Amino acid sequence: MMDNMNKERIAIVDGIRTPMAKSGTDFASIEADDLGAIPVRELLARTNLNPNEIDEVIIGNVAQPAHAANVGRVISLKAGVPKHVHGITVHRNCASGMESISSGMNRIHLGESNIVLAGGVESMSNIPLLYNKSMTAWFYNMFKARTTSKKIKNLLRFRLKMLKPIIGLEVGLTDPVCGMMMGMTAENLAREFHITREEQDQFALLSHQKAAAAIESGRLAEEIVSVPVPPKYKKVMEADNGPRMNQTIEALAKLRPYFDRKNGTVTVGTSSQVTDGAASVLLMKESQAKAMGYTPLGYIKNYAYAGCEPSRMGLGPIYATAKLMEKEAFSMSDVGLVEINEAFAAQVIANVEAFDSDKFAQKYLNRSTKIGAIDPAILNVNGGALSLGHPLGMTGTRLIITILKEMHRRSISTGLASLCIGGGQGAAFLVEAQ
Amino acid sequence: MQDITVSRADNGVATLTFDLQGEKVNKLTGEVLKKLESVIDQLAVDTRVKALVLKSAKPGIFIAGADISEIDSITDEKDGVVKAEFGQAIINKLERLPFPKLAVIDGACLGGGLELVLACDFRLASDSKKTLIGLPEVNLGIIPGFGGTQRLPRLVGLQVGLELILAGKTLKGAQAHRKGVVDKCVPQAFINDEAEKFVSAMLSTGGVDALKRKRKKRGAMDRFWPGTSLVCWVAKKQLIKKTQGHYPAPLAALKVIRKTYQGNITKGLKVEAKAFSELVPTTISKNLVQLFYTHESLKKYTGVSSDIAVPSQVRQASVVGAGLMGGGIAWALSNKGIAVRLKDIQWGAIAKGLESAAEVFYKGVKRRKLSRVEAGLKLGLISGATDFSGFQSSNIVIEAIPENMGLKKKIFQEMESNCPEATIIASNTSALSISEMASDLRHPDRFIGMHFFSPVHRMPLVEVIPGEKTSPETIAATVQLAKRMGKTPIVIQNCPGFLINRILLPYVSEAVYLLGDGATIQTIDSIAVKFGMPLGPLALADEVGLDVGIKVTQILEQGYGDRMKSPPLFKKVVEDKELLGKKTNEGFYRYMDKHKVPSEKMMRLIKSESPNNSSYKPTTDVIRDRLILIMVNEAARCLEEGIVEKAEYLDMAMIMGTGFPPFRGGLLRYADQQGISGIVERLQQLADITSNRFKPASILIEMARLNQTFYK
Repeated sequence: MMDNMNKERIAIVDGIRTPMAKSGTDFASIEADDLGAIPVRELLARTNLNPNEIDEVIIGNVAQPAHAANVGRVISLKAGVPKHVHGITVHRNCASGMESISSGMNRIHLGESNIVLAGGVESMSNIPLLYNKSMTAWFYNMFKARTTSKKIKNLLRFRLKMLKPIIGLEVGLTDPVCGMMMGMTAENLAREFHITREEQDQFALLSHQKAAAAIESGRLAEEIVSVPVPPKYKKVMEADNGPRMNQTIEALAKLRPYFDRKNGTVTVGTSSQVTDGAASVLLMKESQAKAMGYTPLGYIKNYAYAGCEPSRMGLGPIYATAKLMEKEAFSMSDVGLVEINEAFAAQVIANVEAFDSDKFAQKYLNRSTKIGAIDPAILNVNGGALSLGHPLGMTGTRLIITILKEMHRRSISTGLASLCIGGGQGAAFLVEAQ
Repeated sequence: MQDITVSRADNGVATLTFDLQGEKVNKLTGEVLKKLESVIDQLAVDTRVKALVLKSAKPGIFIAGADISEIDSITDEKDGVVKAEFGQAIINKLERLPFPKLAVIDGACLGGGLELVLACDFRLASDSKKTLIGLPEVNLGIIPGFGGTQRLPRLVGLQVGLELILAGKTLKGAQAHRKGVVDKCVPQAFINDEAEKFVSAMLSTGGVDALKRKRKKRGAMDRFWPGTSLVCWVAKKQLIKKTQGHYPAPLAALKVIRKTYQGNITKGLKVEAKAFSELVPTTISKNLVQLFYTHESLKKYTGVSSDIAVPSQVRQASVVGAGLMGGGIAWALSNKGIAVRLKDIQWGAIAKGLESAAEVFYKGVKRRKLSRVEAGLKLGLISGATDFSGFQSSNIVIEAIPENMGLKKKIFQEMESNCPEATIIASNTSALSISEMASDLRHPDRFIGMHFFSPVHRMPLVEVIPGEKTSPETIAATVQLAKRMGKTPIVIQNCPGFLINRILLPYVSEAVYLLGDGATIQTIDSIAVKFGMPLGPLALADEVGLDVGIKVTQILEQGYGDRMKSPPLFKKVVEDKELLGKKTNEGFYRYMDKHKVPSEKMMRLIKSESPNNSSYKPTTDVIRDRLILIMVNEAARCLEEGIVEKAEYLDMAMIMGTGFPPFRGGLLRYADQQGISGIVERLQQLADITSNRFKPASILIEMARLNQTFYK
């Protein structure tokens, strides 16, 4: 394990995000590259940074759009970052928006960059439908056919069923190794930890209530830049449209299980929403931020990623936190605020239980004692992906911004932001506000 | 070095290179033409020459055209015919050289330049941005006189020929190829290699004919008289519609081409020379040439003396107020790659501003002026804010909020505390005093007026108004930015209404007074339009909005007293709130889907306001003079007070800011042509029968006494 003792903290000078819009709604017409450019541009304006001083732009994105390969570079240029500043896209599934930050940190620690603009973006509205194999083959033969007779022959091979598309989103949310849809991995955890349907519904209800309160009090507005919606600009998107202000437990209870229709407990109501959004943060060493006269939003003390079984990917946060504790000495009692991304209600509840379990620690984490209990009062206090939404590539960056802003409001010095990652991984970031 | 050099290679290919000594551009002066003639004469007898290539040694220029000062010096028809036929004869000689000729065009090839290369067998153009090809003579009130009306339509067909000549349109290399003006458009980097290849193709057996066969065939419409007449008839109809018959040159060009297109070229050239010579000495042509000169001088204009250091370029700007003007200014900035922070109180307003900027970009995409990606990138440069974030990194902040002195002063103080000291603070006010607005600022030296006209994307003028304490560096930077935005800035001294509104509003007010004197809405507007104004004064008031108009007239009344008294009818109308102009669908006119009719409600209001029973009924001449001379009189005062530096700039400002008819040359030019003493006399008459508004300006009386003119 690398020694972090001598490494300087990396400052998050400031962070900003767009509102999050349920896919197919207000941001449906904005492609990922245009969406991603919005918070970058805004961040440049708010920090009054001369963009020539940026060394690198790193953007997390999962469903990389076909028309904008290396979308990080496209975002950089579209946001007005000068051409000489290089840019890259990083992909660690649901933690892509954290990967961009940790990659940036590493670049800074290595001395390759001084100032990094990091962020994450996802336009789940624009994840395409794909032609299936037989249709693709048919097209291929059509292009290849030189003579009219061959063309006609191929034409006759067409069948209507070939038009059945592959839904990019659905395929993307299916684990390629264990073959399960993400929701099924949540069902696994519900069974392993004996989490009932009612517990999950209750958790989701609470998420909506917390998010609604955060929007109404204006807390979330502090991290959001309003977006006049192109191309017509008739509407301004000012707040997340995922949270249902009048969500009831009855309404949640009515939903049918979605992934295991016969015996399941996980519904769309207890799964994270499919959403569009983008966020971005400005990174540099603490000393540099101070030298430039900034009062940073906060700092990344340390971070860790960890792998686990793909079929139990929802437990990623506890694995990653355990690893983070090996890298950096701290205990859960030091942590004043926790964000665990709400991929599924069952998955967050499972983590909460596992954090408080000696048995789990002994069996899976090679530790004698538990990681430490999480007080529900400090967990996801402004709602989470169940209510706000989960634009895959953006969420990681969003969590860091959200937790740091809330830490300032509560005068809390240390926080933990964590994510489970499709494919069986977890990410955990230890952040500090002062 | 010489103006024209000829080199001959061993393979018999001669190269003729233009390089006018001591000039940045190549021009076909009389001197150059004479040299060209002797060179051609030598080539004609040189039996070793197998082919000729015409080139320019100047980067970005082939031949920019004839020498305009030489054309301007032609004062009578006889002289015109001689000059045209002299040029025609030399170009004919070039055409008759007994070997194939190729022109290699890398740069501007305009007017006489194009007429020259049309006499070559082939033309090759580069794809450089600077390669512009066309016959823009009509823009100077004349027609091509060196065979352009003959050879171009014969080469590209009647329809395209008319399109290019009548509109004075210039083409880029690729367009010129598409229209058939050049035989090939090639990348600039390879133009010499391509020229060599082309020459060897020309020299191969039957090469010339083969290359000529490659050209697009002319349309059927061109070949027979019913087709040609139809094309000419349509062209004429369009021309009349576009120019209202005010511009004789395109009509003359059409007439020449119609008469000569299918006939013998020698006869055609004679017709062309005659028509050319008739146009050159006309007032309209002289006016347009003068405007050309003014325009050229404004290109070099910095607004300050030459010892002021050139300020660094604006990289980022902020605009406060996202209304129609704010949105337009944001468009003009982002269109030139400048990042814009657009601030307003509410996001809804910002969205409106973005919408108006987007509309202009989308229109550009539709007209293929820019690609969808470019439009997206440019639009992306505009970001909204409801606070002052981002102002720290702005090099200039432009205020475009409603005209309210108190509100503006408050905004400027906020700007000052949110911007670095080097940031220029500009106001897009149309009438408020710049010095007063700057009075509470800690650094009034960086404060300036920057008055755009609506709609921003179409109106080229920007009034740059320094206050008492504005520094010359601030002026220079503002002028430079306006130019970068594609506008024509002119420095105007601070006075109520500045230049344009001070002169134009009396025109509108006078129309309202005329209504009171019994003239009808339609009569007044049609007389103004007949004079050449793009809009009658009352239709103009409707466009601007009567509530906006009255505010300015009140500011003017405050500043200048009785001679700018806001007509009482205005007040009545604005109180009514329903007759505010186009935005309420009714003002002086009532607006229907596609047309407008005089508003009956307004007419009733006029009748009740001014029960005019006197015998005074303004005639057409009186109406015209009251509308135009009230402006002339005020323009003269502006010049007298030094509000604007020169008569030329004042005239250009009126043309660019109000659409005052270019063929008139401007208000002061018009006064010169009418005769200053005549103007003074007429003003005195009008003053006697109407009011003191028409009391002639003292500068006019003085000029009349000394028999002076505004233009030398």
